[in-house]
Amino acid sequence: MADIAHRSAAPVQHGLFGLTDRFRDKLPAAFAVVGLIAAWQFVVWAFSVPTYMAPGPLDVLRSFRDDGWTLLSNFWPTLFEAMLGFVFGNLIAILLAVWFVHNRTAERAFYPIAVFMHTIPIIAVAPILVLIFGSGYLPKVIIAALICFFPTLVNMVRGLKAVTPATLDLMRVLSASKSEIFWKVRIQSSLPFLFAALKIASTTCVIGAIVAEWIGSNFGLGALIIEATYNFRSPLLYATVFVAALLAVVLFSIVSVAEARLIKWKASDVH
Amino acid sequence: MNARALARSPVMPAAADVEANVAVSVRNVDVVFGEGESAVTALSGVSVDIAAGSLVTMLGPSGCGKSTLLRAIADLVPVSAGEITVLGRSPEEARRERNFSFVFQDATLLPWRSALDNVRLPLEVGGGGAAHAEPRELLELVGLKGREKALPAELSGGMRQRVAIARALVSRPKILLMDEPFGALDEITRDKLNEELLRIWRETGTTIMFVTHSIPEAAFLGQQVLVLASHPGRVKELVTVDLPAQRRLAMRDTLDFVQITAHLRRLLEEC
Ligand SMILES: Nc1ncnc2c1ncn2[C@@H]1O[C@H](COP(=O)(O)OP(=O)(O)OP(=O)(O)O)[C@@H](O)[C@H]1O
Ligand SMILES: [Mg+2]
Repeated sequence: MADIAHRSAAPVQHGLFGLTDRFRDKLPAAFAVVGLIAAWQFVVWAFSVPTYMAPGPLDVLRSFRDDGWTLLSNFWPTLFEAMLGFVFGNLIAILLAVWFVHNRTAERAFYPIAVFMHTIPIIAVAPILVLIFGSGYLPKVIIAALICFFPTLVNMVRGLKAVTPATLDLMRVLSASKSEIFWKVRIQSSLPFLFAALKIASTTCVIGAIVAEWIGSNFGLGALIIEATYNFRSPLLYATVFVAALLAVVLFSIVSVAEARLIKWKASDVH
Repeated sequence: MNARALARSPVMPAAADVEANVAVSVRNVDVVFGEGESAVTALSGVSVDIAAGSLVTMLGPSGCGKSTLLRAIADLVPVSAGEITVLGRSPEEARRERNFSFVFQDATLLPWRSALDNVRLPLEVGGGGAAHAEPRELLELVGLKGREKALPAELSGGMRQRVAIARALVSRPKILLMDEPFGALDEITRDKLNEELLRIWRETGTTIMFVTHSIPEAAFLGQQVLVLASHPGRVKELVTVDLPAQRRLAMRDTLDFVQITAHLRRLLEEC
């Protein structure tokens, strides 16, 4: 309760002070980052590490300036694949979870298969999919979707079932139908579980897209990583990795903001 | 006074001419959970009539079947033998017609709904929009004016239970079934809610069945106290509480009140 009130009230009430407070909270982290980058530059300079082995931060910065266009044109495909994979992987997982909750037989039949599929490492599946679907966008989207799929399925099934017997008793006394229980209770109570999974998916879908691009692709951040590595263009490699990380962070933040908007009630009993 | 205060009424069903004034009639009811060796007889040969407009409290040792009796009346538990009629109908029909409401030990509010929306829930499900009380007025009735928008997590335990009572009243039920509704509250809050429940009972004319573990609470609230014995659950005695209809908390210090509670305690010890 206290933290709900605090979250919504703090920026309004404290105004400018609120902002400086928040800035002060972030200050140690900012110092740490700057310090680490400085240390990195110092090590590279002090031990004369060759650039191809490990470039300094200044080399990476220069790469952003010189190869900015290459980075950007390879960024869009990866963003596209990751987002499409995110949408489809999660959508299918959510629909399957809804089906499983309404149909015990379906759950018993397909849940074990889903678990089995999850145990196959995605890196091992990627070449198979590339062989089947060629080197276009499709296999990348599928791999990004596959990597999102399982955590969301498991969490959504758990979330839809996370309704207390007492609440079900209440709904029965109210003569609520199955679909009313689904829309008024199950969906809502599954949201914290769903968002826990979506936050994981928001970063893993980027991993999925990049891994897929490693295998027989000539576009995307993944392909750029391979190319930069083979040509000893280490500053470009580092810059690419940085862009990929940034993409994952941005997607994660979007999901977090959506979560804060949709779930105003406490979600402390979700692990 | 002593003899009058402890006046007893017969446990067996009332005569046919009183039938019209009977809200809940329980005839020779058995409830058995499970089958074969592991079967548990929760209730055995329970018969009792609850007069329309009365407030009957239920006392008994833990596990004697108080909740089971209340839940059987509410169509949450099927009876194994005997018959229950609620306003002359089967519990299922009474449930569909919203003739009764149930208040559980924990408020069982939907955490994502505001206090007001929780009170509205019964109007949104089970086709229950017909004749109903104004949710805002009910929140006022239970002393929560101004907290309509508060989420359950932002309310105290007592406030949550008030919301649950408002929710139970919104469909204008003729019967209110309450299973230890104030069991988890501190004594001062409980006293306050007891007084408010009596006020609501007088104002609405609802029949109330109220399960409690507290002997003073049972005597203070009830016009009659139904004492159950355990192993198997059966009616021990239906004690009429001969105190003025207008109950005041101070009444609990009078000799009459103390004699009634002493009698109830003796009955419970025999159980
Ligand atoms: N769903 C159930 N399945 C099996 N046994 C049950 C079930 N519900 C209740 N029982 C059994 O029925 C008996 C009566 O239980 P009940 O909950 O009605 O007791 P109670 O009087 O309400 O107890 P308490 O005062 O502790 O709430 C107990 O022996 C209990 O174990
Ligand atoms: Mg009980």
